[in-house]
Amino acid sequence: MSHPNLASIFNKDEKRVDWHDKALWFVRHKRDRSVHNVKGWESLRELGHGIKAHTLSNIDNYLIQFEVNALNNGVQVHWAANAEEHNQIVHKILKKNNAKKVVKSKSMLTEECHLNPYLEADGIEVIDTDLGERIVQLAKEPPSHVVLPAIHKDRHQVDELFQEHLGTEPCDGDPQYLTAEARKHLREKFIQADVAITGVNFAVAETGGFVVCTNEGNADMGAHLAPVHIACMGVEKIIPKQEHLGVFLRLLARSATGQPITTYSSHFKKPRKGAKMHIVIVDNGRSEQLSRPDFRASLHCIRCGACMNTCPIYRRSGGHSYDYTIPGPIGSILSPGKDLKKYSTLPFASTLCGSCSDVCPVKIDIHSQLYKWRQIITKNTPQPFIKKKSMKVMGQIFAKPSQFEKIGKVARWSLRNLPKSFINSKPNAWGKARDLPKGPKQSFDDWHKQREDNKLKNK
Amino acid sequence: MANRDTILASLKANKPKLIDLPFIDAAVFDEQLDLAAEFTKILEVVGGNVVAVSNDDEIASHLQNSFSELPIKYSTIDESYGSIDLETIANPKDLENLDVLVLESTIAVAENGAIWLADKNLPIRVLPFITKHLAIIISKKDIVPYMHQAYTKLNNTESDDYGVFISGPSKTADIEQSLVIGAHGALSLTVYLKG
Repeated sequence: MSHPNLASIFNKDEKRVDWHDKALWFVRHKRDRSVHNVKGWESLRELGHGIKAHTLSNIDNYLIQFEVNALNNGVQVHWAANAEEHNQIVHKILKKNNAKKVVKSKSMLTEECHLNPYLEADGIEVIDTDLGERIVQLAKEPPSHVVLPAIHKDRHQVDELFQEHLGTEPCDGDPQYLTAEARKHLREKFIQADVAITGVNFAVAETGGFVVCTNEGNADMGAHLAPVHIACMGVEKIIPKQEHLGVFLRLLARSATGQPITTYSSHFKKPRKGAKMHIVIVDNGRSEQLSRPDFRASLHCIRCGACMNTCPIYRRSGGHSYDYTIPGPIGSILSPGKDLKKYSTLPFASTLCGSCSDVCPVKIDIHSQLYKWRQIITKNTPQPFIKKKSMKVMGQIFAKPSQFEKIGKVARWSLRNLPKSFINSKPNAWGKARDLPKGPKQSFDDWHKQREDNKLKNK
Repeated sequence: MANRDTILASLKANKPKLIDLPFIDAAVFDEQLDLAAEFTKILEVVGGNVVAVSNDDEIASHLQNSFSELPIKYSTIDESYGSIDLETIANPKDLENLDVLVLESTIAVAENGAIWLADKNLPIRVLPFITKHLAIIISKKDIVPYMHQAYTKLNNTESDDYGVFISGPSKTADIEQSLVIGAHGALSLTVYLKG
């Protein structure tokens, strides 16, 4: 389904949309307060951008260096060209270790690869351990935000889900009680797990180590208790040196939630004694995105979610309306590269206001890329009849000033005199939720001419 | 190996011309912070509890007063404080009922209240996560202003097999954005600031 259609489903509950909009705007505010306290914030963003751009320009060599160091650290390294291979590799490791129970901390990559259903089909239990992810897992839904996976759910829905699945008492949605119950429930899962899967926020070529950031401590609870730890990363997670973590860890949490840093920033290098560690490095379309000069900077993304929190469309349409693993503005520039037709409406889910680019900690030119995808999509995919026709007519009108003036006169008169039922009739999508302004008597051209004339007279 | 080589070849073919790696000039960010004051302020904002102490006796008595009700304790600093012997822990899961853990750190960061714990001061990795209450002792002289200096310090010491920056107790806001302290990791964090 297209973005507008899915958004209209989300928009049915107006109160919920208002809450969603305000909650995310509040997170954006926290981000602002936090970054304004950092001296040299813009220099920090420049560095983030520069380090990522450099890394992409030498990415193959950094990945080779990372592999050599990781192997020396006693970590097994696997490579997957696509989602299918990624799932097969993980499955094989689980089989080899007779694993039946898996705990997984947040990893957008494993969401992208649809790892859970793949493993569940073989009778393996996969428990998402981030509270928000556990909530959406129980609801059988995908996350709707990269940092706040259950932001589309209210406390009463969580209350009901927990009553049904965890056997909790009705509590009128008390977050304190629900979180405490989730802690107990997941504690048991951590203790029983055969394998822990985590994502990777940053992989360091220089050391062969990788960093995982959480606030809950769930990645560490999983990885330090289970005998096997599998970390899954996209190729673009690589950074050259450990010192570069100083830049990215300063940027990440401040941009995401306004925290100065996540509660836990865990640096894994060697497995603990007696345990095993695997890293799965995944391409799945990333090398192809790297080949597109206009769009390769989208691979700088560190998944902070700031572009979602600030986006007027995302806030009012919800993450599920994007129908892609990564929603919001960044998802809208990543997804067309994967499937131009399926995601053809996403780059249009934007006002091109540029707020996403302004808050991006690694300075991705998100709104310019949205605009560029629009050009490609319009040329390569069938457009709705009304849109096609109206664009053509608009093009002709704008090309001839005399005609533009005539049509303008008619339009202004119509806006003043025709009934609302006609002006807001079906072909005018803009009129669905808003009224058009009253047409002024004078065009801008006339107003400007008059002004110039007056100036001359007054001289 | 086929995959590895194909992926690397395609990345190599598709990457842009080499772009220079920028140099990190940490001086750009320097605000001449009062390190202990900033560290204390930020750590309290993220839910930690900072106690300034001048000697080990003060730490011992504060620990005694704070957690006297709780039976299962371990300290890497003071053997007499602990009630368990890590030698008897065959599996990290056996630490499930740990109430209080006391550790020492040698790197703390003023700008974000983060404290570095690594294998060398961490006999079992899961300890600071599985414990209900975590207490960390740090000297004022070991506070650095920003993450850049923390990594300079880490680069100058022997590399750790595992290490973690911890800033506050574990937390979540996944239910309607309401902050709840105590998700999966420690329910509370107390930092003893020495000197």
